[in-house]
Amino acid sequence: MIRVISDEAYKELEAAVGPDNVSRLPVVLDSYAFQPFENHESMPWCPSPVAVALPSTTEEVSEVIKACNRHGLKHKAFSTGWGMWCGPTTDNVVQIDLRRMNQIVEIDEKNQFAIVEPYVCGAQLQAEAMKVGLNTHIIGAGPNTSPLASATSMYGVGHDGIYMSYSARNVLGLEWVQPTGEVLRLGSPGSDKGWFSGDGPGPSLRGTMRGYTGALGGMGVFTKVALKLFNWPGPPQVKSSGTVVDLTSEIPENIGLYMCFFPNADKLADAYYDIGEAEIGYNSLKVATPAFMMVLAPHLFKKLKDTKNLSRMLGKTMGHLFLMLLAGTSKEDLAHQERVLEAIVDEHDGFILDQKNIPPLKSNFMMNFIRATLPALVFRIGGSFSTALGRNDSLDSQVTWGEAIADIKRGYASKGQIIDDMGDNPYFVPYESNMFAHCEVVYPYDHRNPRYLEGSNNITMDFIIGAVELCMEAGFGTLPPARKILSPLTSNYNYWQKKFSEAFDPDQGSDKGLYTDETEFDFSEIAPERVAKLERLVKERTWTELGPPE
Amino acid sequence: MALEDYRRDIEGCSRCSSCKWVPYNQIKSWRFSKNCPSIYRHNFHTYSGSGRMVIGLSLLEGRVELDETVAEIIYKCQLCGACDSACKTYRDDIDISEVLLELRAYCVEQGELLIEHMAMIDALKREGNTLGEPKAQRGDWAEGLDVKDVNAETCDVLFHAGCRYSYDRDARQTARGHVQLMRSAGMGVGIAGKEESCCGGRAYELGYRGEAANYADDVLSLVKSSGAKTLVTACADCYSHFQYVYPKMGKELPVEILHVSQVTEKLLDSGKLRFRRKLPLSVTYHDPCHLGRKGEPFAGVWKGDKLDRPMNLKRSGRKGVYDAPRNVIDEIPGLELTEMERIREYAWCCGAGGGVLEAFEDFSASTTAERIAEALATGAEALVTSCPWCLRVFKDAVEETSACIAVYDLTDLALMSAGIAQPAAV
Ligand SMILES: Cc1cc2nc3c(=O)[nH]c(=O)nc-3n(C[C@H](O)[C@H](O)[C@@H](O)COP(=O)(O)OP(=O)(O)OC[C@H]3O[C@@H](n4cnc5c(N)ncnc54)[C@H](O)[C@@H]3O)c2cc1C
Ligand code: SF4
Ligand code: SF4
Repeated sequence: MIRVISDEAYKELEAAVGPDNVSRLPVVLDSYAFQPFENHESMPWCPSPVAVALPSTTEEVSEVIKACNRHGLKHKAFSTGWGMWCGPTTDNVVQIDLRRMNQIVEIDEKNQFAIVEPYVCGAQLQAEAMKVGLNTHIIGAGPNTSPLASATSMYGVGHDGIYMSYSARNVLGLEWVQPTGEVLRLGSPGSDKGWFSGDGPGPSLRGTMRGYTGALGGMGVFTKVALKLFNWPGPPQVKSSGTVVDLTSEIPENIGLYMCFFPNADKLADAYYDIGEAEIGYNSLKVATPAFMMVLAPHLFKKLKDTKNLSRMLGKTMGHLFLMLLAGTSKEDLAHQERVLEAIVDEHDGFILDQKNIPPLKSNFMMNFIRATLPALVFRIGGSFSTALGRNDSLDSQVTWGEAIADIKRGYASKGQIIDDMGDNPYFVPYESNMFAHCEVVYPYDHRNPRYLEGSNNITMDFIIGAVELCMEAGFGTLPPARKILSPLTSNYNYWQKKFSEAFDPDQGSDKGLYTDETEFDFSEIAPERVAKLERLVKERTWTELGPPE
Repeated sequence: MALEDYRRDIEGCSRCSSCKWVPYNQIKSWRFSKNCPSIYRHNFHTYSGSGRMVIGLSLLEGRVELDETVAEIIYKCQLCGACDSACKTYRDDIDISEVLLELRAYCVEQGELLIEHMAMIDALKREGNTLGEPKAQRGDWAEGLDVKDVNAETCDVLFHAGCRYSYDRDARQTARGHVQLMRSAGMGVGIAGKEESCCGGRAYELGYRGEAANYADDVLSLVKSSGAKTLVTACADCYSHFQYVYPKMGKELPVEILHVSQVTEKLLDSGKLRFRRKLPLSVTYHDPCHLGRKGEPFAGVWKGDKLDRPMNLKRSGRKGVYDAPRNVIDEIPGLELTEMERIREYAWCCGAGGGVLEAFEDFSASTTAERIAEALATGAEALVTSCPWCLRVFKDAVEETSACIAVYDLTDLALMSAGIAQPAAV
């Protein structure tokens, strides 16, 4: 039986957003309870909301939140709503679906920024920005996601990071309906001086709005953001036919795409450092060739993967490879960048496959790369996937971590507990002048098959132990059981998150299940020696009030 | 197949929302980036391809009961297939369109019917057409035409006019034009006149599987008795049902099936038809859903895990009829084609399909208005298409709003250029 909101509260929501834009029909609520991605616990459902509201303005959002607060209801917003982190984590939640807040409020060509609402997706913003010679950062998930959501509420990494950084870095002003319903503008718009600086004049947003991960809907609702835009030296519209796998595009003469191969991971990392210093690169991504091929042609490679030594062969010859897209301001500038890239790759004993020698590849990859349309093809392998604890850290440590995690992954693949995609399959992207990188190891599985789900707690635990053992931040500690384990090892981050939450949300109106909640990890399926190992590591590495352990 | 047979498809959804957008590499502007008329209008996730599939799961798991409200949501969808094509840019294991059809069949099975649709089905049973017009007048459109009567003699090419061309006041002239065009190239065309029956496609789409099967049987026996080797239709809906639904129901027609735009293209290729007159007109072309993505022929059913389904059995929507009409336009001297942003398998629907025109007029009209806006944005003087249902709603919308764009059936332009006849546009 799906619980719904009281008549009185419903009327107030109707008054806030108009009768057509609120629903408590069980069939509607249930469609919001369906959130299968990364929902290992109760696949595919999360708790059903008690109502769904579709506000169209900041004022309406504020009214919705105030109505919820008056009736002791929690609220949880999302922008496009992809992933279990968008749904309610508890009963009594009003889901705020922001799809009617869908405007690109402004693109300031001269000052290179855009002001957008939550339901503007990356592809829309990019298409409009390109018309005026600009581009926007798109996260690796794809251009279906909301740049506002990534900038304000959750992660923000993409393979244009080498040029366009990390979503949270690109915020130049923000409008925020706090959990109390009050509207606050952060950065320069906070003093009515325009949307050009995240730090003021006006209240600064650094560290208030979000930390590394974001509050995942646990701190009110973000309704507008000004995002930095970047140079786009290509045409206002890239002429293309086809969609993703069959895409072909006209390639501008000042854009080049290169596959750079290295003999080992260290050489690859060193080349990345030098590329960062040389300040070239528009998009770049480390690629696991076999997994990449499997994504493009899953049928063929599922058959071939059992071919003796194929994955070893591919792994050995193409195991350490990154894709690099260079965009010059002119043909000559591209030629210069190309020479720099060649020299760096050469210095680190690598070699380059220039895709201009393989026109069909280049014509397919270019827009797929720039618009971030390829990664979601990973769903083709098993219907779903998960990733091992994505994290951001120095590039070197990411290489080490990636390799350690890949070993764990191989173990599970060989036991058939995840689908063997023939590679480590990292989502590995450099940013911050390539001093930093993001890395998460992707593993495909079929979430409809209980066989795969049964092992998921074990996999998670092994990844946690792997990271803690290497003395590395485990990342993605957003789930309450993982947070409980990881927070004490990682500067007690949850202690501080709770402080923020108490300050901004005294009545705890936002659904903060994925922001601050802690629950016990279910150790029932974990082998006792693994539990003991974790306990030992936790004991050794827990932070004290004075800081990290010796 | 039943809803339960698609449980894995439904559970496979990741809720990525690709079914709400034009495939991302083809998004060219903020304005024309959406692909699903239903969620565009109604906004709750429930109305999207994904949300509709979840309704199926909620029903299967007994989380939600089927009632009038649920049925209404299920039917507020043009079955245009845009969600399905978009989803398939990433997924090999989900057939949204099939789930949407099963949901409707489930509504009918459970007796949860819409009054407007019941009226249409009654008319169909009574008069053999979806418009409720007298059966005896079905062949009137062809009066005086030099065409064979397949009830009396055999023919090479059977022309199936379909309900809309047979009865619609504006379309009937064009229906004659289709035949004139083929006759002028020497084709031995026959029609069934008042004995022609509805293809049954609408009944199938509304979930009335029994009625749909009966009409398929009628068409099948007529085709067989006509001796025709080719069945030509000018109606995109009929074309899709002949190409896809009939073989899926096990009632494959034993003839070549062509849309009139394909015939025109063939006649041009073989030199049997020539366009002589210049038509100095800038046009844009609307891909009818049922000729385009839903016109993709049936390739067979895969019984195993769809993750392993051979690609040729995946209905991606890419193999619909897209090039033939464009090639015909290309051949007409003076015509200048400017494409809309949403074309081919990611075209926006005209608004008429899936029983929406009959049951939810406002929703249908708003979908049509969106397409007209897109056509106007190209700057073209005329909107051209190849389906009488699309034509009807476009003409009505243009008339009502006085939008500054003419609406043409492709065949009418072909006839004008070939100098065969000169029907008027709205
Ligand atoms: C398959 C997949 C791959 C992914 N890959 C990447 C990746 O490569 N890089 C990366 O950075 N992230 C990745 N993510 C996570 C992603 O960052 C988030 O899903 C999100 O930030 C993307 O935007 P969205 O519109 O989809 O946000 P949503 O899915 O709508 O929301 C994400 C979270 O933010 C909250 N939220 C969203 N909008 C608001 C708002 N306006 N106000 C308050 N809270 C809000 C929601 O409650 C939710 O917890 C991936 C997710 C999926 C499902
Ligand atoms: S595109 Fe497909 S997988 Fe994605 S939400 Fe829609 S139905 Fe689900
Ligand atoms: S068939 Fe068309 S109207 Fe129906 S859900 Fe899919 S895209 Fe929307």
